[in-house]
Amino acid sequence: MGKGKTLFWLIPLLLVIVAIPGVSGSVTAREGVFLILMYVTLAVSLNIILGYTGYVSFGHIVFYGIGGYVAFYLMIFHGVHLIPAMIAGGIGAALAAFALGEAVLRLRGAFFAIATIGVNEAVKALVNNLNFIGGAEGLFFNFSIYKTYGGAARAIWFSYYTMATVTVVTIVAAYLIKKSKFGLGLMAIREDEDAAIILGVNAKRYKSLAYAASAFFPGMVGAVFFFKAGNIEPHDAFHLMKSIEMIFMVMLGGYGNVTGAVTGALVYERLKGFLLVNPLFKNLHMAISGVILLLIVLFMPQGIIGFIRDKSKKLRELLE
Amino acid sequence: MRRLMSVLVGVLFLAMAIGPAWAGMDKLVIGFTMSQTGKFNSESKEQFQGLKLWAKQVNSEGGIFVRTVGRRFPVVFKYYDDESSKDRVQQLYTRLISQDKADFLISPYSSGLTASAAIIAEQYGKVMMATGAASDSIFNKGYTHVFQIYTPASRYLTDAMDILSKVDPKAKRIAIVYENSKFAKSVCTSAKKYAEKKGFKVVLFEAYDPGTTDFTSFINKIKATHPDAIIGGGHFADGETFTKQLYEQKVKVKLVSLLVAPAVPEFSELGKAALYVTGPSQWEPLAKFSKKTAKSKWFGPSSKEFTQAYKKAYGYVPGYHAAGGYAAGLVLQKAIEEAGSIKTNDVKKALEKMDITTFYGRIKFDTGKYYGRQVGHSMVYLQWQEKGGKLVKEVVWPLEAKSADLIYPFYKKY
Repeated sequence: MGKGKTLFWLIPLLLVIVAIPGVSGSVTAREGVFLILMYVTLAVSLNIILGYTGYVSFGHIVFYGIGGYVAFYLMIFHGVHLIPAMIAGGIGAALAAFALGEAVLRLRGAFFAIATIGVNEAVKALVNNLNFIGGAEGLFFNFSIYKTYGGAARAIWFSYYTMATVTVVTIVAAYLIKKSKFGLGLMAIREDEDAAIILGVNAKRYKSLAYAASAFFPGMVGAVFFFKAGNIEPHDAFHLMKSIEMIFMVMLGGYGNVTGAVTGALVYERLKGFLLVNPLFKNLHMAISGVILLLIVLFMPQGIIGFIRDKSKKLRELLE
Repeated sequence: MRRLMSVLVGVLFLAMAIGPAWAGMDKLVIGFTMSQTGKFNSESKEQFQGLKLWAKQVNSEGGIFVRTVGRRFPVVFKYYDDESSKDRVQQLYTRLISQDKADFLISPYSSGLTASAAIIAEQYGKVMMATGAASDSIFNKGYTHVFQIYTPASRYLTDAMDILSKVDPKAKRIAIVYENSKFAKSVCTSAKKYAEKKGFKVVLFEAYDPGTTDFTSFINKIKATHPDAIIGGGHFADGETFTKQLYEQKVKVKLVSLLVAPAVPEFSELGKAALYVTGPSQWEPLAKFSKKTAKSKWFGPSSKEFTQAYKKAYGYVPGYHAAGGYAAGLVLQKAIEEAGSIKTNDVKKALEKMDITTFYGRIKFDTGKYYGRQVGHSMVYLQWQEKGGKLVKEVVWPLEAKSADLIYPFYKKY
């Protein structure tokens, strides 16, 4: 199995996009690209469990929330710098996923999907009642926390570049997983789990590891996002709607495919961002994006990238 | 299929091209996000309608007068949907400031979204009027551009103690029973602190789970501790049930003051159980703040004028969300007029010095550790009373806004 060429154009392209706000100094562009990066990372990491392994994790946002809370707690009460706090957030989310995975990954199909929603709601209820992390009131940063990073303006730029780094790492990791023996095992599980087990794939361990990997990156994203937002509340950290958006993005771009998840996130974010501020559509943005998504799912069930891959053999190597 | 897609994409690009941001120098741009979708939709809409009414009235006079320029500037809104979610709040506020050139900002609805927007406002040094955000947690965090219109949660129920000391200085025993939720908990924790500071004895301090329908065990505890007053509550359903069960058990107390439920019109369905129950509200159409009783300089329309104009514009009587929206605009207008300038620093200074009374109540801001927090405005307390055989809401506190006298004690109705 060849290594493919996807990363050779995808990463440079991403770096160019990341550089645009920095070069032009446009904060509006930065805010836009920040959201794109965030969505890309969420979609690409969800793809590991959803696209590669075929398990629809409906409540995947729970790991974003867990990572956000772990990091926020460390930053606000222990004065930890964003970077170590973020890594701790990622590890916290991955550990939670591994432990949960041992239990919920026994379920298949719709049962698994529903169980993950339950996990998200349960964690939200738990956090609501844990007073040391703010309970239902949430936690709020003191504005002076940004002084460590050279003031709020620089802190926001800093979180922007941190997010960009996380995105690049996520894409590379997701790509390497796909190309590894481990990834092959996951795809075997997706196609036929029982057959994969008979062929010697340790399905249980593989699934748990895939689940942990797909939770690690959202955990870091949550950390960076809530650092920038300056406060964290249970209903924002464990927002089921965002979970659904993540699935949408993966489906939109193309299931099981790194370029697909990136494209889906990019298109979805741009589309939504555009509709939201356009004077013509701003009152109808939800309806319009719904209709467009419906059209795509109806006519291009394999997603945008899947559609192109089907049509052109030449591009197949470049779009993995 | 491909053709359809290209048509769609074409339409999108066209729309992108014809909708550029136009910002001139001859008007005041006020930027904000509102929750057109998502869970804050209805409250946010009310707030927006109030704000819109204010703009309409100001613009009908030609706009806000800026002394140093010597003429009036009409007000223009720039606003986007934040979907009741934190995701886009910062992006949109950044856009409002850097691209739409907003001169002043109004906060989104809810404390969480406001806190996220505050970081951007602070970073760019733009004054932001925070309305629909009652949390105290935003205001000791080092922000110097955020000014709160609502009475903060920490003072929601504290006036109940003031009422008690005024009408019955001997009543000293308080039972606090509240819903274990974000808002009720922060309100009641502060109320407890205040009560103890004022020499009251908190004989019971208990939380019930959201969705509780049987309060027997709490009522038994209340009976055992013989309080003079019961305060607390949470949301509508639990407050209503609690009130009903207090009545069924004939609990003999002198004052009952609950969050949220008594302010909702449907509370009257309880019949006699609702009688003499009191509760706080940010504002009520009945609140009679007026030039005569005002403790500081009066500004803006009277309560009656506001209520009538709102009713004319939207077809129904406004609630406190709408009043809060209108008040945010009004206070900003006053600050700009006082400053005589639209420079952030001048307006900030005017806000710091401000002490006015409007139809919405008194407005004064904290300039100390809790910079920007509302210290002038206080909750109005309403009480359900009987008039001609029908249950009606009356405002009984503060005294300068009352529409009727408080009926005391509560157990008079048994």
